[in-house]
Amino acid sequence: MVLTEHVIQTQGLTKAYGPHIALDSMDLKVQKGATGLLGPNGAGKSTLIKTLLGLIVASEGGGTVLGYDIRNEGVEIRKRIGYMPEYDCLNPDLTAIHQVTYSGELLGMNPKVATQRAHEVLEYVGLRDQRYREVGTFSTGMAQAAKLATSIIHDPELLIADEPTNGLDSQSRKFMLNTVKQIVEEGGRSLLMASHLMDDVENACDRIVMLHEGKLIAQGRIEDLKAIDREVEIHAWGGASKLEEHLSDSGLKVRRTGRVLRVIREDETTYDQIIESADATSCQIRRMHDHEASLEDLFLVIMERLGYEVKSSKDLFSSTPSARKVDSPGEVLP
Amino acid sequence: MNEDGEVGDIDAEFLGEEGKAVSGASRMEAAYGSGDGDDDLTAQVAKTGVVAGTIFDTTYRPWRGELNPRWMRNWSILRHHLLGFVKKGHRPWSIWMKLALFGCLIGSMGDLAMAFLGTVIGDTDLYRLFGASRGNLYGHVLGFFPRNALCFPLIAALLIGGMISEDRRHGTSAIYFSRPIERRDYTAMKFLTVAIVLSILIVGTLAIYYLGDILLRGEGWSWLLDTFPMFLAAALAGFLLVFTYTSIGLALSSVSQGRFFPAVAFLAIFLVSKLLAFLIWQLFERSVIYLISPYDCIAHLGQTMLGISSSYDHPWTWSLVSILIINAIALYVLTSRVSSMEVTRE
Repeated sequence: MVLTEHVIQTQGLTKAYGPHIALDSMDLKVQKGATGLLGPNGAGKSTLIKTLLGLIVASEGGGTVLGYDIRNEGVEIRKRIGYMPEYDCLNPDLTAIHQVTYSGELLGMNPKVATQRAHEVLEYVGLRDQRYREVGTFSTGMAQAAKLATSIIHDPELLIADEPTNGLDSQSRKFMLNTVKQIVEEGGRSLLMASHLMDDVENACDRIVMLHEGKLIAQGRIEDLKAIDREVEIHAWGGASKLEEHLSDSGLKVRRTGRVLRVIREDETTYDQIIESADATSCQIRRMHDHEASLEDLFLVIMERLGYEVKSSKDLFSSTPSARKVDSPGEVLP
Repeated sequence: MNEDGEVGDIDAEFLGEEGKAVSGASRMEAAYGSGDGDDDLTAQVAKTGVVAGTIFDTTYRPWRGELNPRWMRNWSILRHHLLGFVKKGHRPWSIWMKLALFGCLIGSMGDLAMAFLGTVIGDTDLYRLFGASRGNLYGHVLGFFPRNALCFPLIAALLIGGMISEDRRHGTSAIYFSRPIERRDYTAMKFLTVAIVLSILIVGTLAIYYLGDILLRGEGWSWLLDTFPMFLAAALAGFLLVFTYTSIGLALSSVSQGRFFPAVAFLAIFLVSKLLAFLIWQLFERSVIYLISPYDCIAHLGQTMLGISSSYDHPWTWSLVSILIINAIALYVLTSRVSSMEVTRE
């Protein structure tokens, strides 16, 4: 075991399946707290999770999870983490209480202790009154909650949740996000939440790790990452096109959707430049304020810098791998 | 608003945050943005003392217990599957499985019951027909009809049907492998579960039959010394049968995602190979074709071990090699398919 301030740390982590490189020299540093793992299908999220669980051996490089080596201390890692899979993983013929108890026993918990703890966690995830129902009769939200209960029965130091809000309605989604947030905030545990829903990650996490085509393309605090491009939002009236053209000619970077323009804020003089441009083009500016970037904006900026033409995260996350290859300007890994 | 200026429930939706009346202008602005954009009107929504209520308040409770070592984790898998036959809350076995197992257990002790009847009514012929002897010990374990044609393969097929395939189908493999469970431990515990149940059915009933016979007849040491090696040989053949049933059955279960295919394929392997070998033997009178039938290979070895005249022409070593190869292939398929089971998606 290696003492480290990071719950997950990798150096040059590479995993190749023949000619296909699933993880490409990944230097990952995940601190204590809630971290979102973002990336489209095929980005390498599942491979990364399996490597971190010590289930597959890295081709090159290495790393630690909670101070344990991912190459040869997989059992120690899996004792200390809770993994909530994206897909169904519960026996539909078992009741929730017995399913959760069994998952605790599989970790090495004494049957009586596991039963007691199963009652606690099922109450925590909101299934207190449903715990004697067979899992097969559960709604999607209840099944997700039961999956969460199986992963937190031993109060893990790190919870890896793979798409925890998958298939949930807005109310269940909110409850799930609040529940995992509580584990971090009240329980003092860490969370690595894989998701393709930007809002969910922004709600539950304060850090992100973004993957694309097996490469780490961004990591750090969401607030810090958002600051990479600050924009001024203008609501223009009468001559928005002229204003856009004038601003661009002045050397400012402008994005426009209808009468709303977003201008990259270079420095304090940007505001004056905007006013001057408005004056020059006789365009009314009805509202002007600093734009608070969302994670979605951050994603678009990152993808733009990588050379992709993506209008929204949905474009990339919902497309098939073959469709993504068409968009990709660079070399796509085989 | 009442006389004291307090906000009443009925008025709530018509009032703003501070209890101010919401004007038509502000409503229009909120709905359509009809203003010129320079004013700072904001939508005033009803916000009164209406309490939404709290259904429950969850708090995260930490757990500071110790996790037990590897053997306890393995024991939990074994316990989960075995206790499912007798208790709720463990692996749910169907009622048909339980009934079939019970029926076969009772049926397997039919020879003991007949020997008991022979002793009770004093019919020595009946006793000679069913009492413990070289042939009857062999027949208890390796007799083809009905034991190895109906009872044992049926129970084995029902047991192995969903043993691994259902973990694939339901994704429960993720529950196992995202925990500190090694794949070889998982495979070994599943193997042991099936082997224990089949051992009870095949070797356990053999032991009861042999012990029951000793008690019925009040046999002495000389009889014991005479028959005990035969009992041991029959038990050994029984364990070989259990091992083979289990390895082939679990291999089939590991390549499938349902109960039906492994169960039917298992019965087909045992019964069709036997039937095919029988038909070819009838045509060409060459018993070597029986090497394709796992049952016949073990029966051949059992006959050799118990000292019964062999019904096969080829040497028993060929049957030994054949059954070893069959088991090796089955175990290879089993281990390789279990190692391909996923935690992220199937």
